[in-house]
Amino acid sequence: MSDTKSFFCARARGEEVKQERLRALDYGCFNTLFWKVAYESMVEADSEGVEFEWGKKRGRGGANKAVQFYESFTYDGVEYHLYDSVYMYEEDETEPYIGKLIKIWENSARGKKVKVLWFFRPCEIANFLGDQEVLENELFLASGEGAGLANTNPLEAIAGKCNVLCISKDSRNVQPSDEELQKADYIFRRTFDVKHCKIMDKMDDQIAGTDVKSIFNRTNLQDAGSLAIVVRSLQNLSKENPALRTNENCNDATVVLLDQNLYNENPVVRTNESCIGTTVDLLDQNLSKENQSVKTNENCNEASVVPSDQILCKENPAVKTNRNCIDTSENGVVAGSNIPLTKQKYSPREIRVSRPGIDSVDTAATNQRPENVSDHRASLQPKVESGNSKVKVGRLVRQVEIEEKAKCIKDSVDVDVRPYKKAKHDGSFKVSDDKNNILNLRLNSDGNDTKSLAPAASVADKYRLKSSETDTGPFKKLKPEDKTTMVSNRMLPNASATHSQCQDHKIDGQELGVTRRPNVDKSRWFTGPWEDRLQTAHEQGRLVLLQNLDPACTSAEVEDIVWQGFEESCKAKMIQRTAFSSPHSGQAFVLFKTRQVAEMVVKKLEEGCLLLSNGRPLLGRIRAPSLPEKNPKFFGHLVIDRLRYQMARENKDAVSTSHCSQPNTIEYDMAIDWRLLQERSDLTWKNLIEQQGFELKKLMARLKAKKT
Amino acid sequence: MGTSAQPEYAAFEEKVKHTVYMDNLSPRVSESVLRNALEQFGSVKSIQFIPNYLGPRNMPRCALVEMENTKQANSVLSILAQFPFMINGMPRPVTARPAEVEMFSDPPKKPGRNITVRWLDTKDPDFAVVMQLKRLAQRHSAEAAFMLEKQLEEEEKLALQQQNTLKSNYKKYEMIDSVFADGAARRLARIYNMNVLDD
Repeated sequence: MSDTKSFFCARARGEEVKQERLRALDYGCFNTLFWKVAYESMVEADSEGVEFEWGKKRGRGGANKAVQFYESFTYDGVEYHLYDSVYMYEEDETEPYIGKLIKIWENSARGKKVKVLWFFRPCEIANFLGDQEVLENELFLASGEGAGLANTNPLEAIAGKCNVLCISKDSRNVQPSDEELQKADYIFRRTFDVKHCKIMDKMDDQIAGTDVKSIFNRTNLQDAGSLAIVVRSLQNLSKENPALRTNENCNDATVVLLDQNLYNENPVVRTNESCIGTTVDLLDQNLSKENQSVKTNENCNEASVVPSDQILCKENPAVKTNRNCIDTSENGVVAGSNIPLTKQKYSPREIRVSRPGIDSVDTAATNQRPENVSDHRASLQPKVESGNSKVKVGRLVRQVEIEEKAKCIKDSVDVDVRPYKKAKHDGSFKVSDDKNNILNLRLNSDGNDTKSLAPAASVADKYRLKSSETDTGPFKKLKPEDKTTMVSNRMLPNASATHSQCQDHKIDGQELGVTRRPNVDKSRWFTGPWEDRLQTAHEQGRLVLLQNLDPACTSAEVEDIVWQGFEESCKAKMIQRTAFSSPHSGQAFVLFKTRQVAEMVVKKLEEGCLLLSNGRPLLGRIRAPSLPEKNPKFFGHLVIDRLRYQMARENKDAVSTSHCSQPNTIEYDMAIDWRLLQERSDLTWKNLIEQQGFELKKLMARLKAKKT
Repeated sequence: MGTSAQPEYAAFEEKVKHTVYMDNLSPRVSESVLRNALEQFGSVKSIQFIPNYLGPRNMPRCALVEMENTKQANSVLSILAQFPFMINGMPRPVTARPAEVEMFSDPPKKPGRNITVRWLDTKDPDFAVVMQLKRLAQRHSAEAAFMLEKQLEEEEKLALQQQNTLKSNYKKYEMIDSVFADGAARRLARIYNMNVLDD
């Protein structure tokens, strides 16, 4: 990072750093200065490494299989998955870039890398937008081929998670709900072809080698928003947390692993008394890969469980409507597990949580419940008799019981669902499996002191999965009749399921991601042309020209000055001096976030006096940048028809395009004329600058005299 | 931080010494053309065109050319001072001068320099003077802009004048060529009894 830059404003205001961080969060974007400040404070506080952990592995690749691909990882407390949208920090940028992770890997030699498919902000492609309407918060996904599509970046450059939803009407896209849209940081519906610089309405099947289905919204984003699950491998879990245990001889032991991270460490949140069941579907692509079978178990009153999402249904045979599920449980434990989860394309995540269409379920479930329960009991009977599988029966019994109890609780205790969102729970729940295979799940929630039964389901994969959609919003929608589908993996080596996770996690994943990390590689992964940004900023009235600066100022110092003077962040760039610029004062173009800020700065500078350390007042005005023309005029190069052909050739081959004039030619005579003119103007400039310097000195002297 | 800044700045200063500021370049001069033109004086390490964001649009371009060492940079400067040097067109010669720190797009911060700012109170006795300073600065920049405009005008004038001269000269030559070609010159020579084929 910019070691040489001074953070004179940062150090003195240790406390303000935090304030600033919050403010920047409010802004929704993070300014450069803030980064610096945050970075500085972080470095001072803790220059040690940031928490990092790999998640699920994918294949290996590259020469000698040196590259390990991953599907997820946890960085600085935030879990990232493939196809997540992230903020990418760029040192020179006021606003971070946004991109989608399309590849994650580690190469022992080169470290951790991510491939990022970019989103464009409308301002970045303003020149190509024409009169197209752009929604607020709209982004454009890069497509086509060429620079700007996707880049490989160090993983450490990720600055945080970004919630980008696709609102394309494309049939392959899962339409987001209104709530989700409200929560989304950005949305996109069109792509920007980087090769032809065109806005495209349609999405190709592949973008940057990534299946477009992965680019559209995810199902669990849809219906799971809140119902994220943490699944841990049994091995891991038993190692990590022996708090929960079931008998080892119980092959089918099932345990629900609820997402403690999301709901402040407590599984109870999801299994609150009003929640008789919650549908949890496991779509673990890797399960099928590994030939592990997944069994879907159904709760008794699932008569109306209809996965709200069609795609989910299509994609995964394991997700069934309730009838099938009931069949599954009736036919035997293995029924569900026979269905291999073969569709891998769809989900990068291993888990899908589906929340049944609430409205319809509401009534249906309520109405049907009594019958369902009896149904189940009926179906239960033969099995007990046949003794086909104790485990199965046990589970069914258990479920029935759970359901009944839950109902009871629901009937007797009327607790608003809401408190659970924030309630902090102790996160320990016990699963004891007695010989009758009846699981008693006891969950304590210290927030509301409500005991509730957790329906059990376990997905014990080797990997730990966490949903990253950590918003609690959709949780509000949970209705009493939400169902739980239990999914268990009966092929697990150690069937004893054990878990309780006590991980501290903030609810808002983005907040965590905001902080700038130390030791970030500052590779420039995408340099938007400064000219374009100047132009856009000027059109939007955000561009200010600062004058009368110390010519030796650096761009970073200008940003610092603006920060000190106005408490506003900006992106500044000094105008480079040429032969014709005054050595007395430097100029810089400054990009502000909004027109209001820019106008405020100009007004303040006009009325007040911001005195710089060289004793000069800062000047600011709004001025258009002069941008290069396509065919600029240039005086002094004469073209003679005969020579034209030759010149074109020279241009093309870039050979012998230069020469010194020899004194016996007409060219030399004319060149001397030019020389004369050049000398004359040099001299004039010198005089002017001298005179200006003199005037300046005279005035400055008055200033100093008054001071002393 | 402070320790690394010193050598970094020193390295930058060294770079400045290797660098030549080129001006009066045609907009059609590309990096490769410029590189080719200057390779004869030594090896060109890097070329950076200085963007013109403020001046009139048809200003000649300028660029920073970093040479291998100071000696090569000096040889560029001295040759270009002695001879009118043409790149990608004539007769307007390009000019070169030693580069300055401020010409670079992102110079490192000079170590040990700190900038402070303060808002001046309106009641401060200096306020009036500072306001005057502001006006002066505005005037100065207006003067400079005017200068630049004038300079461009003169350049245009000279270019136009030269073009006209060249055109008329060219016409004359073509006329002579044509009278020789169609035999008119020889016929006239015979009439006036002159020898035109003496070479």
